[in-house]
Parts: sequence; structure tokens; C-alpha cells
Amino acid sequence: MIRCISVWERIYIMRTEFHRRRGLKGLAMVAAAALAFAAGGAGAQAPQAQGAPQASGSQAPGAFAPPPMPMTPADKLVSELPAPTVPGMRPVSPVPADAPMPAADPRDLRGSWYHNQALEFRMQRDMYGVLVPYNMAGAKVLARRVNSLKDGTPYINASAICRPPGPQWQRDLNFPFQIFQSPDWIEFVFEEYHGRWQVIMDPAKAPPPRQKEYMGYSVGHWSGDTLVVESGDFKQALWLDVDGTPLSANGKLIQRIRKVDNADHAPFLEIETTVVDPTYYTRPWTVVRAFGWHPGLTSFNEYNCEEQVGDPSVHADAGLVPEPKE
Amino acid sequence: MMKSRPCHGTAAVVAGALLAVGLAASAAAQAAAPDLQGVWKLAAPTKTLKPVSGSVPFTAQGRKQYEENKRLQAKGSYDDYDITLSRCNSPGVPRLMLTPERFKIWQQLGVVTFDFEWNRALRQIVTIELPPKVDFLGQELVPTMTGTSKGHWEGDILVAETTNLSDRTLLDDLVPHTQDMKVTERLRLLDPDTLEDRITIDDPVYFTRPWDAVLTYKRQPAALFPEDACLDRLEAHQAIFPSR
Repeated sequence: MIRCISVWERIYIMRTEFHRRRGLKGLAMVAAAALAFAAGGAGAQAPQAQGAPQASGSQAPGAFAPPPMPMTPADKLVSELPAPTVPGMRPVSPVPADAPMPAADPRDLRGSWYHNQALEFRMQRDMYGVLVPYNMAGAKVLARRVNSLKDGTPYINASAICRPPGPQWQRDLNFPFQIFQSPDWIEFVFEEYHGRWQVIMDPAKAPPPRQKEYMGYSVGHWSGDTLVVESGDFKQALWLDVDGTPLSANGKLIQRIRKVDNADHAPFLEIETTVVDPTYYTRPWTVVRAFGWHPGLTSFNEYNCEEQVGDPSVHADAGLVPEPKE
Repeated sequence: MMKSRPCHGTAAVVAGALLAVGLAASAAAQAAAPDLQGVWKLAAPTKTLKPVSGSVPFTAQGRKQYEENKRLQAKGSYDDYDITLSRCNSPGVPRLMLTPERFKIWQQLGVVTFDFEWNRALRQIVTIELPPKVDFLGQELVPTMTGTSKGHWEGDILVAETTNLSDRTLLDDLVPHTQDMKVTERLRLLDPDTLEDRITIDDPVYFTRPWDAVLTYKRQPAALFPEDACLDRLEAHQAIFPSR
């Protein structure tokens, strides 16, 4: 059986490689990482909610972490912000031994999936453990948003007013989603936010809409058994997470999605998202998430935010204030 | 090597055991289930859930609420009787089946999902036994717009019973119901391109007897739906139920 490389092994390898290329780490670290895998044993596992390292979280670098990089003024601004909320996730029933499993075809993504990781309120590091590469404009946007929370006057964002929050935030929430698939397009339908993320495989059959959409326009293709999806053409700038990690309206998200099944009854979708946005970042950066197979979550709880958002007896924006224009 | 596993409570373990029974039994049943999947649209758009015969058999209490709704409609006080018009609240079951735009039906893992073009709304009919979800907040005790729909197949017909429905929705643009309503639907293909939904309304508080309505849908070409945000239309003072 061909053994799949787990998210964590890849993170270690890529992180090590990243720093090696930058001349910050030598063979000693590579050897140390290899030893760590040898000690850890074989078999890819989905990242777990507790006890596992965070793919792009805010925890201190581990034992094999490279020395810290020199901080830019933007890094310094971001690092001085109040810490994000500690993440959590709702409990979910385990998948029973005789539950139906996903299709064997690695290009068939259909089924029900649910986040294997706790919600990360603010993405502070990329999948290699390196600080998100803000430029000063991006750092200022994030600082403004985080400080608005601290000051008790948080800003209105798409989620808060019951609008589609964009592909990254939509996927990152700890709510299940189903994938429906045809040769022409792949539809991700989410429990929350009336979420629908449409990946067009044949743009001739689904050209860009006449009006830009909150979820953007996403075109995919297969690279081996990895679905590569480029999303852009967003109706407005996005918040990539709860604290407001920014994506400008001209930014792009490149998602690499693959189904990992190591015959251990714990298949998962791995989704790497690369943020490409020179408006706010000095270079593209990537986070990774894993979504476990959960056929028991095919039945969704109802989501109906309009009932509250539109209630004339309460403050329509729940006390949020408009974000200043740049 | 010991693999790390997430910690789950007792409830989750019990739920998992129940889930095993339901999900395993579902696999064979689902393979044999008739295929209603596709894109559908009302054959004849209407705002009214019209009884198959006669008029709506209101009780005195039901008639009183209906007349009040008509008065509020004439006055334009939509939020006092129809929060779908005033807030884009989900029209719920069965009114979602009256939306003039398209919807998709998906059948996957024992659940029939209706994916509406209108405001990206969803409703689902569960045709297998699923365990109760881990529900620390008691969410499932609260009636919802689309309620709890349990279904089974009788030959080629999907029979669905929906209960636990909020009384904040209407059956159509005027007819009220109570929280005790039960909606029974019998969905079947009349031919490969025609879907029928025979709806039985049973609500003894507002109706003297159960009554039936029939809605018919025509198959539409496969398509992706444009993103519809009802609240954007509401803000722009556009139609809540646009016909496209």
C-alpha cells in the first residue's frame, strides 16, 4: 500500500525546507526532523482537535523550530496586538466502525465532512510556523480590527450581517458541509451561513456571473489527485477569519484539496489555502486544514440568521459599527 | 505507536453506537431509493397553497388569524405576520416549496437535501435512523422554520413527515399554522421531467380536518445557481420572491 504523507509530516518537511533555503537552518535540523518522524512511526493521521500541533496556529514553535526571523515593523505591529480568543470546537460523535465510507476514487470528494481542528480566530502563522507576512498596510488593517474589538466597538463584517463570508472563513467555521460533484462543477454546501461554494470545472458551462458574488468565482482543475481551485473576483474585500485577517477585493485564494485515506477508518480532506494578495502581504502564504469524514452529520441543523438580523425590535447591526474606509 | 484521538463524552459514544445501526442499515436502502435528484421549478408559479378541493377548512380560531393576516397585509405591517417578507426569514415548510425560483434535490448518505435558489435556503428529509446529535444547548428542542423531516420510501414515493415547526412561518402568503402542525408530503416522479409534491396539512387548532394541496415541478437544465442574498434585495427594496 502506498503510504500517504500526513499533514504534519509535510509541515515539518516543508517548514524545514523553507528555512533551509533561506540559509537559516542546516542539515542538523533536517536530521532532527527525520529522527522525529522515525520515532513517531508510520501512518498518516488527520490532525486532531486536542493534543496535536496547530497547522498554522499561534503556539510557540516546537522543539525543532528554526530561530526566529528578524521582525519587520509590520510584524512588530501585529505581534503587539491582544492575543486572539482561545479556540474551541463543539463535540461530535465518533464515526462508527461500519459507517459508509467515501468513494475509493481519490477524485470523488462527495460526502459529509467536518473540521478536524478547532476554529482559529486569527491566523498568525502559516503552515510552516512562520509569521503571516504582512506589509504595513495589511498590519494596519488587522490592528484596526483587533483594536476595535478591544475598544468595544467591533466592525461590521459579512458574517455579522448575515452575508456569505467568503470561502476561507466559511470553511474554517466548525460546522459540517456536504460535497456534491459532477464533471462540470463541484458544490460545497455548508450547514452555516447558507454557505455554498461552487467550484467550476468547465468554465465554458459556467462563466463568471454578471454580478460579482461574495463567495467569488472559483475555477478548479485536477493536478494528479489534487483538486486545485483558484478563487477570486470577489464582490468585496474579505475577512479571512473572525478577527479580520484581511484579503483585498483583488486578492486571490488558491486551494489545493485532496482526499487522504490510509485505510485507518479516518479519511479526511486536506485543504491547503494560499493567500495571494500583494495589497496586504509581502508574499503569498499558506495555511492547511483537515476535515474528517462524518456521515452522521449529513443532516444539518437549521441556520436562519435573518430572523434576528432583520428584527426591528433589536439593533439591526448588533452594536457593530461600520469599518472606516481606507 | 498510540494514535492520538479526540476526547468524546459519554453522550458521543452512545450516539456513535446508535449511529452505527442507522448508517449501516441505510447503505442498502439508499442504493435502492428512487432518484429524484435534479434541478426543479414550479410548473405554475403561485403564492397560494390551494386545497385540492374546496376551500381551506379553517376553525374559528384559524379563520380569525387568517383575517388578521389579511388586515395586516393590507396595512403593509409585514413584520407583524410575515417575517419572510420583512426580514428574509426562511419561509419554512411547506412554503419553501412555493418559491418561484429553482431548487435542487440531492440524495446522499440517506438524506434528501433541497437546495433552493432563493436565498441559498436548505431543507432536508432524513430517510435513515440517525442518532441525536450531541446537543448541549438543547437546540433541537426549539421549533424551527423547516422543522424535523423524517422520510421513508413507499415504492417510488418519498413520504416525509415534518413536525417541530415554528409558528413564525406561514403556509403561503397568508394562511397561518400553529406549532403543532404536521406536514406530510408524498413526493414522486410523474414522468422523468415532472415532480409532484402532494402535501397534507394537519393542524387541528387552525383547521377542522387535514387538507391536501398538490404542487408540480418541471425539471430544469443542470446549472449552478447565482448567489442570492435576500437581505441585499430587501435593502434595495426589491422583490423578496423574484421570478427569474
